[in-house]
Amino acid sequence: MRVLITGATGFVGSYTVAAALEAGHEVTALVRPASKAPFAALDSHPRLTLARADLRDGRSLQGLFDEIDVVIHLAAAKSGDFATQFAGTVLSTENLLAAMTDSAVTRLVAISTFSVYDYTHLKAGSVIDERSPIEPNPLTRDEYAQTKLIQEQLYRDEMARREVVILRPGMIYGRDNLWHALLGGELGPLFLRIGRRAVLPMTYVENCVDAMVAAIDAPGVAGETINIVDDSLPTQAGYVTVLERQMEIPTSIPVPWPVMRSAAAVVAFANRRFAGGRAKFPGIIVPEKLDGRFKPFRYTNERAKALLGWTPRYSLETAFERSLSDVDLVAERAAVVS
Amino acid sequence: MVQPSSGDTRLRAAVIGTGGISKEHLGFLASSPRAELVGVCDLSPVAVAHAATTYATRPFSSVDEMITATRPEIIHVLTPPNTHLAIATTALRAGAHVVCEKPITLGAEDLEQLLSVARECDRHIVENHNYRFNPEIELLDGLLAAGSLGTVAEVEIRIGLPVTDPAGRFGDPNLTSPIHDLPAGVIHDFITHMVYLLAHFTPGVDWSTVDSQWNNHAGVAHFPVDDLDATLVGVGPDGAVHGRLRFSALMAPDCFEITVRGTEGYGQVELFSGRVSEVIPRPVGKQLAPIANMMIGGLALFAAGPRSLKRKIMQEGPYVGLAKFLDLTYEALGRGEAPPVTPDDMLTTSRLIDRLVAGRSPQIGAS
Repeated sequence: MRVLITGATGFVGSYTVAAALEAGHEVTALVRPASKAPFAALDSHPRLTLARADLRDGRSLQGLFDEIDVVIHLAAAKSGDFATQFAGTVLSTENLLAAMTDSAVTRLVAISTFSVYDYTHLKAGSVIDERSPIEPNPLTRDEYAQTKLIQEQLYRDEMARREVVILRPGMIYGRDNLWHALLGGELGPLFLRIGRRAVLPMTYVENCVDAMVAAIDAPGVAGETINIVDDSLPTQAGYVTVLERQMEIPTSIPVPWPVMRSAAAVVAFANRRFAGGRAKFPGIIVPEKLDGRFKPFRYTNERAKALLGWTPRYSLETAFERSLSDVDLVAERAAVVS
Repeated sequence: MVQPSSGDTRLRAAVIGTGGISKEHLGFLASSPRAELVGVCDLSPVAVAHAATTYATRPFSSVDEMITATRPEIIHVLTPPNTHLAIATTALRAGAHVVCEKPITLGAEDLEQLLSVARECDRHIVENHNYRFNPEIELLDGLLAAGSLGTVAEVEIRIGLPVTDPAGRFGDPNLTSPIHDLPAGVIHDFITHMVYLLAHFTPGVDWSTVDSQWNNHAGVAHFPVDDLDATLVGVGPDGAVHGRLRFSALMAPDCFEITVRGTEGYGQVELFSGRVSEVIPRPVGKQLAPIANMMIGGLALFAAGPRSLKRKIMQEGPYVGLAKFLDLTYEALGRGEAPPVTPDDMLTTSRLIDRLVAGRSPQIGAS
């Protein structure tokens, strides 16, 4: 297949490019105009082409999709204010879909996120799967969740025009991204470790990109939404225990989940009672945002396995070993066929 | 000509453009008892749909369609500056008053043309001079009105915003916007604020000298200049006045300072944090006045901390003046009176910007 990958220079994107090459696809990596030597290890790969454009500028996308069969759309803004993330995630996707309108692209592998679920109204301990409700009150959530929810609606609208498969990865971890937002949050100079027993909806980056690449040509997945999490998911404490054996972790203050959630509820009550709900506080003391990161649930990857024929390749321990090794993981994977 | 709907004193308002500043305008319109938000328009279907859903109004992708369908009495033009002239002209000719983001036009000549259309259509057009209505500026107004500063002798306005940061909206090397193409690049988008504030504190001053030094210190992509250092000298009704305008696109942290020095004292405010200080005659005698000013200044500085925290938590950012500007504008228009920002205010600002920009060329690329 001729595959175009957006967000190709990002943390997940570079692994996705390598995995798509490994799978034998002709890959066009979409990189922004000012990106410098994004794939040093893959520069000479015979099946890799670079295309330079910025998705926020619709004019720069003309003609990019003439010779493309499948698009994996990874690009999104993960930080910044609402306007920044709206431009980087929503307007970018709108421009991408507009540029694809008259192209021969048959399938869009659309990367969404676990952040779209309605964590506040789901019962703690219940199983989150693809049928779980999505957030009905986006304004209570952070900018990332708000903009990804709008983006996902664009994906669903696109289903009328071509095959679209929506993948919702959990927290993606890997090299340089082992300590993450589901373990705690910053409050001023402090790092609070919130909770211990919640199961982490995580996927190791090399496992996750296998699922993305499987979605390129998996049969019968058009119109499907598929969660991507690994097998044998660790708890917060279990993850940190494994992590501590291999690297130094930030100094942090442990806070039990019920204590943090109760504190957030008190702050929310005071906000409604005394400030008409207009006061804005850091996300880790806002109930809905807190629920989205730390409320304990269970997760399943049965649908991903059934529809994509996917099995996570690496266990948590192996994933840590690979992440902390000196091996060029991107080059290693692409080199299989180069 | 569009007429107000009978029995409803609210003015029907429509918005064109859903960029970053639209949140402030739409937020006001959705909550003000003086306005009825009837539509929002943008070329991006997803952006306009999101704005329409958030603020409970109708989405449009065509200005003409929106005007025909909603018959707005006021139209807010929030599109890039290079489009203001054409869109505002359309709005005025459709019988609507216009509230326009700054800079209202790319130069005074275009503004004169726009004001001429407004007169011809018997409609008002106002440029957003929001910082004039911030409480800190009103505090300075109060000091001047009370005579505490004497007559104005010098106004210094300084903005430091590291907008060349590649992670920011303007410094991103991957993307340009019409703002980058303004005569003074990104800085042009900010100098309107500086100039209307200067004009506000120096009414009637004829600036005989306008020396603008434009520099490009860092050579950042898409920034023809990243620094302005302008000195102005003029004569007003009460004598000589000096002005100083400093903008740096490199300096951090963010600051927006205004100092008004008079013949009797001075007041200094910082609009991003809300910090204020004043050194004025005190009723304790000449010898004790400096001590009183220091003690009062210390208390004011101390009070600025909690006030700044409250502003942060209550989301009362530097745009607080925009809501007041809009409220006063709607109140005036609802009564059939002139809005608080007059054609003279806009023309004075625009002509002075033209003079500042005219001094740009020789310094391009200098470091």
